[in-house]
Amino acid sequence: MNLKKYFIRALHRLQKGPGYTYKELLVWYCDNTNTHGPKRIIKEGPKKKLIWFFLTLLFASLVFWQWGILINTYLSYNVTSSLSIGFKTMKFPAVTVCNANPFKYSEVKHLLKELDRLIEVALERILQPTPGNSSENASPPLDLELWHQIPLVLIDEHDKDNPVIVDIFESNQTALGNQTAGGNQTAADNQTAGGNQTTADNQTAADNQTAGGNQTTADNQTAAGNQTACSHQGSDNCTYRNFTSAAQAVTEWYILQSTSILSKVPLQERIRMGYQAEDMILACLYGAEPCNYKNFTQIYHPDHGNCYIFNWGMDEEALNSSNPGAEFGLKLILDISQQDYIPYLSSAAGARLMLHQQKSFPFLKDQGIYAMAGTETSIGVLVDELERMGYPYSDCTMNGSDVPVKNLYSQYNTSYSIQACLRSCFQNDMIEICGCGHYMFPLPERVNYCNNEDNPGWAYCYSALRSSIRHRQICIDSCKETCNDTQYKMTISMADWPSEASEDWIFHILSYERDMSTNVTLDRNGIIKLNIYFQEYNYRTISESAATTIVWLLSSLGGQFGFWMGGSVLCLIEFGEIIIDALWITVINMISWCKGLKQKRVQARYPDAPPTVSELVEAHTNLGFQHEDTDALPRDEVLPPEPGTPPPNYDSLRVQPLDVLGPDSDAE
Amino acid sequence: GAMAPGKKITARIKRTLPVKGPQAPTLSELMRWYCLNTNTHGCRRIVVSRGRLRRFIWILLTLSAVGLILWQCAELLMNYYSASVSVTVQFQKLPFPAVTICNINPYKYSSMKDYLSELDKETKKALETFYGFSEGKSKVRRSVDEWNSTGSDFFKQIPLLKFEDFSKTATDLRSGQKRKIEGSVFHKDSSIVNSGDSNDIIGFQLCDANNSSECALYTFSSGVNAIQEWYKLHYMNIMAQIPLETKEKLSYSADDLLLTCFFDGLSCDKRHFTLFHHPLHGNCYTFNSGENGTILSTSTGGSEYGLQVVLYIDEADYNPFLVTSTGAKIIVHDQNEYPFIEDIGTEIETAAATSIGMHFTRSRKLSKPYSDCTETGADIPVENLYNKSYSLQICLHSCFQKAMVDSCGCAQYAQPLPAGAEYCNYKKNPNWMYCYYRLHEKFVKEQLGCQQICKDACSFKEWALTTSIAQWPSTVSEDWMLRVLSWDKGQKINKKLNKTDLANLMVFYKDLNERFISENPANTLVILLSNFGGQLGLWMSCSVVCVIEIIEVFFIDSLFIVMRRQWQKAKKWWNDQKRDRSGKTQQGSDLERQGHDNPVCIDEDLPTFNTALRLPLPQDNPLPRTPPPNYSTLRLETAFTEQLPDTLEVGQH
Repeated sequence: MNLKKYFIRALHRLQKGPGYTYKELLVWYCDNTNTHGPKRIIKEGPKKKLIWFFLTLLFASLVFWQWGILINTYLSYNVTSSLSIGFKTMKFPAVTVCNANPFKYSEVKHLLKELDRLIEVALERILQPTPGNSSENASPPLDLELWHQIPLVLIDEHDKDNPVIVDIFESNQTALGNQTAGGNQTAADNQTAGGNQTTADNQTAADNQTAGGNQTTADNQTAAGNQTACSHQGSDNCTYRNFTSAAQAVTEWYILQSTSILSKVPLQERIRMGYQAEDMILACLYGAEPCNYKNFTQIYHPDHGNCYIFNWGMDEEALNSSNPGAEFGLKLILDISQQDYIPYLSSAAGARLMLHQQKSFPFLKDQGIYAMAGTETSIGVLVDELERMGYPYSDCTMNGSDVPVKNLYSQYNTSYSIQACLRSCFQNDMIEICGCGHYMFPLPERVNYCNNEDNPGWAYCYSALRSSIRHRQICIDSCKETCNDTQYKMTISMADWPSEASEDWIFHILSYERDMSTNVTLDRNGIIKLNIYFQEYNYRTISESAATTIVWLLSSLGGQFGFWMGGSVLCLIEFGEIIIDALWITVINMISWCKGLKQKRVQARYPDAPPTVSELVEAHTNLGFQHEDTDALPRDEVLPPEPGTPPPNYDSLRVQPLDVLGPDSDAE
Repeated sequence: GAMAPGKKITARIKRTLPVKGPQAPTLSELMRWYCLNTNTHGCRRIVVSRGRLRRFIWILLTLSAVGLILWQCAELLMNYYSASVSVTVQFQKLPFPAVTICNINPYKYSSMKDYLSELDKETKKALETFYGFSEGKSKVRRSVDEWNSTGSDFFKQIPLLKFEDFSKTATDLRSGQKRKIEGSVFHKDSSIVNSGDSNDIIGFQLCDANNSSECALYTFSSGVNAIQEWYKLHYMNIMAQIPLETKEKLSYSADDLLLTCFFDGLSCDKRHFTLFHHPLHGNCYTFNSGENGTILSTSTGGSEYGLQVVLYIDEADYNPFLVTSTGAKIIVHDQNEYPFIEDIGTEIETAAATSIGMHFTRSRKLSKPYSDCTETGADIPVENLYNKSYSLQICLHSCFQKAMVDSCGCAQYAQPLPAGAEYCNYKKNPNWMYCYYRLHEKFVKEQLGCQQICKDACSFKEWALTTSIAQWPSTVSEDWMLRVLSWDKGQKINKKLNKTDLANLMVFYKDLNERFISENPANTLVILLSNFGGQLGLWMSCSVVCVIEIIEVFFIDSLFIVMRRQWQKAKKWWNDQKRDRSGKTQQGSDLERQGHDNPVCIDEDLPTFNTALRLPLPQDNPLPRTPPPNYSTLRLETAFTEQLPDTLEVGQH
């Protein structure tokens, strides 16, 4: 019965409401609402009523339409960017300096001896195509084991369909070993394999096509240095990587071979073989303060051997620079000792340097620049920052924790960057597919670097993976850029250094300081001066802010509603109230209708005197009365005691809300 | 009643066609009614305020609120066409740009000998006469053969001159005669002539062929510039007469220029390069020009994955007077863009590895009415002579070329030919040089109007380059490198390559971030309206409804009232004149008044029993059955009388 009680109470609550029928309710609403249009519908004459009705409808639909647009705009999470340029005290960037050549040739010579002899002889043979002239009679026998894993071949493509493949060494040994890899036929391939004894040259169609294409370019003689990589010795799974230039082919071949050799050397040994800080960094000056090689953090970089990072901020506070100009920047003198370069590994000589953020890993191949020996290179720095808002405004990551790629560079204690992610992604793929890690990238635990002995097919696997567009795309898709992107815009200028007049004493002093002897050990081919400093305007920051905030949305919604209809949130509440009231009216009508049916049945059973008009009026208007009457629930004490008498206090209650208007009417 | 079916509505509208005016009979009544009933906030205060001062203050406040609204809305309107900038960075596979590579020297000097021997002889003579320079003393490598002096005489027409007494007399190079100078003097290098060194001033004179008194004198402070300018002038004359096919043959072939090529870890060759003949730089080669429909893209950044080429710069075959520097020129551009290599190319050193790291930025401006830029260039009245997409450079060059053809009758050599025109040369257009210099000066001084006609392009792509140089090949690798490269070069050249003949170039993406800077409209109509709404609401709680009200009340209703007044007056006057039945007129006006007050009289169906029953309760309220709770009921009455008329009238019918 509790429900019933509640129901009846609700009915009474309704009785205090604005009306008893829909029309009344509507009229009351229109008259009393704060929204501007409806009032007019009530107040005006019939024709204007019509006009106002349509106007109100039109405005209401306009409001809703525009609200839709506004909400859409909000949900698209637009951003506005603000740009600021100027000079402020900033952290001086971390400066990584490396030698373009990873190891001292004098230190690695014993490891690369075989390889170097091999390539020398090979070059000899390439350059002097007439056999027999080669001066190998005096030299000790070559270690052809290295060769056979990945041989260099010549492809003569005079005949487009039948390129002649000449293995540089085999050709000499097997008289005229001009095996033809005829077309794409495997039969011909087998023949080649037989001739080579070691490699099964299964030339793919695509290879042939590229090779064939070469022919069109070659006018009379294109002898392309070519390289094969087989997945396994004796297996059929081989590809030729062809190069139009022998120089390129030799370099690539040498890199592959030396990578394999050096990957077996333990890290400590590799560090020892590289350039030591005290040999490389001859002088250092930061602002007015002297610094020396001890201020640099050593890091082993697979491409460039030992690299040294100034101001990395790993252990100590990052240095600030509060003045623009070369006098307040970093001045370095480096020696790259060009005489000690590995001849076939890197043909460009100079220092490789890079500016990057503190605690980030230097990816020199991507972002690094060269500094030429015998010059003074001045680098003016402008810090170009982009500060973005994270999700949902832009698809970027704050610290890389939400990227599904395991960051292998975290072992260096460095922060996330997209380059680190891409490399980690590649290395992970490589480990998964080839079973070993590539020498150029860091290793996860319990995985070894690839080398020719343990993983004979790695080079094939690697080059297949490297040229796989699909894998690259997967990596690109899974890596996200960082939200705060800092680039160092460099203005590079160069001058000859040291000048002819000063070079004598400069070399003398620097040599003396390094080697404690009066012998001059430096020369123009090794020495580099670097000036790195902030420009007059040292920062350009583009920062994002949300174009549409919730405040913006609310004020715009309010503006729209206000503009068309003069409405506010309260009006919406009013409207909601009206709807609830209308629902109640419906409920009541339903009930009364049911009651009516019942009564009719009762009347039919006990034909009574018909109700008087006043009774009917009462019944119609005071539902509470009717309800109680028919239901006959005398226990309910909340019900009005006297039928026909309106509840004494409900009108005065109804006044209550009108009281708000009190002061206004008082003023009248 | 408005929801009645269409026919009913039309019928009703017809029935009520005689427009009933506003309820208020007089203007002041109308105003009072408006102020009391309007939705805006200030007006009511004016009416209900007691006391003159208070009313005055409220009038003032209301007016200032109106003023503020008008001012703010005007501001909003004026700032409507403003743009906000957004920068998005996207990491993605990037299309590799086109890279155009040229040798700085346009044509092989050895093959140009036939065409240039005369000019070179002249130049050497000038050098000897003016500066005492002779071949034997210098280190010039090639020997100047005796050339047959057939002698075309246009060198005589524009000889180099040496000015002894600056401005008035000059020595002719050829004849050695002194002659007087007429005409105005233009100093190409600076406007200030160093009068102390007047002996050193050298230059040339250009005269209008039709009118020899019209002469322009160009002088240079340095003989180097003078000789080069003068040489270039004649050089262009000669080149203009050589057909394109011949010129292409005279210049470097792809095999000549490119020694090795490597892109994205794969070997590439001359098929990846497209020939592009530049009038001043000869044969240039564009990598990834997109001509065969495919544009290469990079999916990994870093120097290994970009373009690596070794260029063969045959320094020995350079033209000694035309170009004085050695190396190559490259430009990174979009496939649709014309490479303005002479304007914005980057020079590449020989015997060095030049590494060029790129950052890609795409920008987009909003076109009209936000800014004055053009999307496609179709709305610019200058014909695009280049077969590439529009840019400001293209427009300016085309505009100048057009002016040149119009006023000089022939086209300038450095720019493409418009339809039906041909390049200027001395034989056909003896006057063109004077004309050209004059025109060019006008162009530079913005008198041709080209700078006004041409507009920026709305969107453009930019590759920011970071260039650094390393020594290449290194001393230890030099030996084998040069040997292998010589071998690569093959049998075409028999000599061993020198490292100063080579240049190594690496062009790569530093990272695959694409920065996209775009302008967006800061305002849309929706936001403008919201802002209007905010302003109106803030100051007066007003809305469009209020505006309509104002229009209705102040324009329509007021007008109607005035009209009615006039009509009544006229009617009264008429009635007074015609008849003396005063009672009737009185009655009529009464009725009319009732009509205004009672606009619902035509409304609704006839009352039924039910509608009668549905009368709202309040009517019964004053019944003394319930004790009135002090004054609230009284107010209730007023509240209901306000609400009542509508429903009451329904009842009356």
